Amino acid sequence: MYPVKYHKPDTIDDAVAALAAGNEALVLAGGQTLLATMKQHLASPGDLVDIRGIKGMVGIRTESDTLIIGAATTHAEVAGSDVVRKHCPGLAALANGIGDRAVRNMGTIGGSLANNDPAACYPAAMLALGATIVTNTRQISADDYFQGMFTTALDEGEIITAVHVEKPAKAAYAKFAQAASLFALVGVFVADGPHGVRVTVTGAGEDGVFRHEGLEAALSSSWSAEALDGVEVSEEGLNSDMHGSADYRAHLIKVMAKRAVAAA
Amino acid sequence: MDMTGEHRIAAPRAEVWAALNDPEVLRACIPGCQELEKTGDTTMEAKVVQKIGPVKATFTGAVELVNINAPESYTIQGEGKGGVAGFAKGAADVHLTEDGDETVLTYDVHATVGGKLAQLGSRLVSSTAKKLAAKFFDNFHQHLTDEAPPEA
Repeated sequence: MYPVKYHKPDTIDDAVAALAAGNEALVLAGGQTLLATMKQHLASPGDLVDIRGIKGMVGIRTESDTLIIGAATTHAEVAGSDVVRKHCPGLAALANGIGDRAVRNMGTIGGSLANNDPAACYPAAMLALGATIVTNTRQISADDYFQGMFTTALDEGEIITAVHVEKPAKAAYAKFAQAASLFALVGVFVADGPHGVRVTVTGAGEDGVFRHEGLEAALSSSWSAEALDGVEVSEEGLNSDMHGSADYRAHLIKVMAKRAVAAA
Repeated sequence: MDMTGEHRIAAPRAEVWAALNDPEVLRACIPGCQELEKTGDTTMEAKVVQKIGPVKATFTGAVELVNINAPESYTIQGEGKGGVAGFAKGAADVHLTEDGDETVLTYDVHATVGGKLAQLGSRLVSSTAKKLAAKFFDNFHQHLTDEAPPEA
């Protein structure tokens, strides 16, 4: 083992200060990626700043048609929330399908978004719903936030505090899970909301979550699974690995998109 | 893992060749490269820090240029040890073709990643390698031309 200093600040200002003062300090939001990585000695921060004790970081509420989820809210809390189920049932269902029960009880929405794993589920939902990522310093639209795998608009020391999701007319997610990790081999989120008709894909792209223009165009003209039949999904830019070739993933994108439309 | 690519650089071949043999240029262009020292006419020692998502690994290793056919082609090969993270080794055949005032650079990479990185990060190795290669050539192009590279 190696020594790690654990901080549990009560306020966002204390968290920012602890991050700045620490030795290669990292935010601990749920730890479902970070702690596993540390156990393998693939990351060795000198300081961990646990943000789960900060007031307002946990919880779900609505302000008129906007759903507000605190960054340290767990996947299980989102999945089980009546407020989320009413506002956007597709988002609650997505949270209920992340990892296993242990991951859902510890992992948080802010942690998932800050990490931006290229096969994570939440990025697909945020981009499709045109969500706003709120940090301690600013509000970032999902369109600007996701910048390629494991890369986001977050600055050094910037902490996500909440996400805002405007109520969509329809939204659903369908995931083909990689059997061992339960990450998305291919996951597709479809939404018809204030930001238009959007189709986002996670798990398949070489550079993380992306919008699929062809599927969006087809769904915009007719919201039905059949409307997607004629859409060409190219394997260009898709991952090819031991779990699935690029053309297999391309095929799955269409299958998952149709399932998501049917569920929405 | 195999990877090939082609980049057009708005600079004459002699200039591109010189840059590809200049440790200072390589150090500035290789993503995460902290140190790159010449240890002989064709050998170098490098230290590269990579941060991919939650993983942060420091690789130290030796780099060697072989099959040198100035100013047309060489093979750059090396092996880096990343402590508990594992190791990476590989070779890239680099070829330069003149096209008027410009140069077309093609490369063909064969690389192996081993240890924990390969076990735990297999789904990320290929896309990470592509991303790093793209970043290198963006930097390299910018270094030679003072311009952002054209959209691929």
